[in-house]
Amino acid sequence: MAKKVLVVDDELDMRIFVTTLLETNGFKPLAAQDGIQGLEMARKSKPSLIILDVMMPQESGISMYRELKSDPLLKDIPVIMLSALSKKTFFHSQRVLDEHRGEKIPEPAAYIEKPPEPDELLEAIRKSIK
Amino acid sequence: MGKQLLLVDDEPGILKIMGISLADRGYGVLTAENGEEALRIFHDARPDLVLTDIKMPGMDGIELLKRIKQESPDTEVIMITGHGDMELAIQSLKHEASDFITKPIRDDVLDIALRRALVRLSYKKQLKEYRENLERLVEEKTRKLVEAERLAAVGRTVAGLAHAIKNITSGLTGGMYVLEKGLELDNKSYLKEGWQMIRGNAEKVKRLAVDLLNYAKEREPEYQMLDPNVPAREVFELMVSRAGELGVSLKSDLAQDLPKAWFDPEGIHRVLLNLVTNAIDACTDLSCTPRIWEVAIRTSKPQGWAVEYEVSDNGCGMEEETKRKVFQTFFSTKGSKGTGLGLMIAKKIVDEHGGVISLFSDKEKGTTFTVRLPGKGP
Repeated sequence: MAKKVLVVDDELDMRIFVTTLLETNGFKPLAAQDGIQGLEMARKSKPSLIILDVMMPQESGISMYRELKSDPLLKDIPVIMLSALSKKTFFHSQRVLDEHRGEKIPEPAAYIEKPPEPDELLEAIRKSIK
Repeated sequence: MGKQLLLVDDEPGILKIMGISLADRGYGVLTAENGEEALRIFHDARPDLVLTDIKMPGMDGIELLKRIKQESPDTEVIMITGHGDMELAIQSLKHEASDFITKPIRDDVLDIALRRALVRLSYKKQLKEYRENLERLVEEKTRKLVEAERLAAVGRTVAGLAHAIKNITSGLTGGMYVLEKGLELDNKSYLKEGWQMIRGNAEKVKRLAVDLLNYAKEREPEYQMLDPNVPAREVFELMVSRAGELGVSLKSDLAQDLPKAWFDPEGIHRVLLNLVTNAIDACTDLSCTPRIWEVAIRTSKPQGWAVEYEVSDNGCGMEEETKRKVFQTFFSTKGSKGTGLGLMIAKKIVDEHGGVISLFSDKEKGTTFTVRLPGKGP
């Protein structure tokens, strides 16, 4: 059976692109447009992978990521961050939040800067899902 | 050469003896027999020290002291008084004389008075240097700060532009991929979606370029004496049907008998068009709870201004953070739909008119932008 991959991005273009990429490569894509909807779908359908945008209105990708990793039922799902934010900025924000809250949230399975190259993204998906 | 000193006394004998004695001590001595002459010499020679008798016919010593201090507060003035003139001596201190010595003049007392005056002179000079140094330092630091701020602004602008372009590139790359898959698999729906993504993003590039050009264009505003309702009416007529299609009712409430004002109609047209477009966007934002949408354009004549334009919506209002940033380059809440240039251009035009643009926004009630123009041009 095709593995389920959840795509969370507020931009329609990005959702269409990533879901098409998944669909045409043998995965079953699910799409959500913000963190709240994304968490709901993650709990309900237990995907094998989540591809997450960082900057979204409502609940941002940063807080959704931390909620995922703090939830015992969801924390083992690998997450690929996909964002226009530079990798450095994202990892810095994670360190600051870790220190501030006294937590240690593990790093995402991969971090890909937008615009994503289809091959690069596909490779990251295959590696993370194994 | 030693310090220059002006000696003033109406008795030529004293003038002569003291003059010689001071010259012996190394001073360059100038002498005057009365207040008027002393002032004349003071103007020309600007001595550092003045030694003057108090009691003189015509302008007395105290009057001379006042005039000198008024003109040159840093000059040290030492008063010479008779034995019974304590009252006058004290009065002279009130007018900021440095010191006084009594007649008959004893050499050692004169020495002490002169030395003290010299010390004070050198302190004043040092202080002045310090102050000037400080001023120079402040000026230099300020210049550096302004420079740094300007560079930071350029940096922010470039970063914002890069972000906007990155977003569009993402959409184009994605669209190409989806379209290719559609061709490869002969899948109609991929073909359609991919094609729409490419079209939408091409449209965005075009809009970004137009906005950028508009901003960069050094269009000379063409000021005219005109009814301020003209651009408001044009924008209303231009937008009313489009607003209707989107389910927003656009209203106009224009003040009658507004006096003509001096402004650039094309510029103000652009400002109002931008505000109205934003207001409609605010209403049709998906995250906003649906209600009966209304956007209104109003004009009025407030005290002290030629005209006030008001564009208000009952959309979902702004966060505090947003309110602070709306007039900055490339700040947009519309995601990939906006270029973040519209309000900045609007502000630039209003600034050129010497007017003010301000906003009031409430999460419940919506947003109101107000533009006031002085009507006399910049």
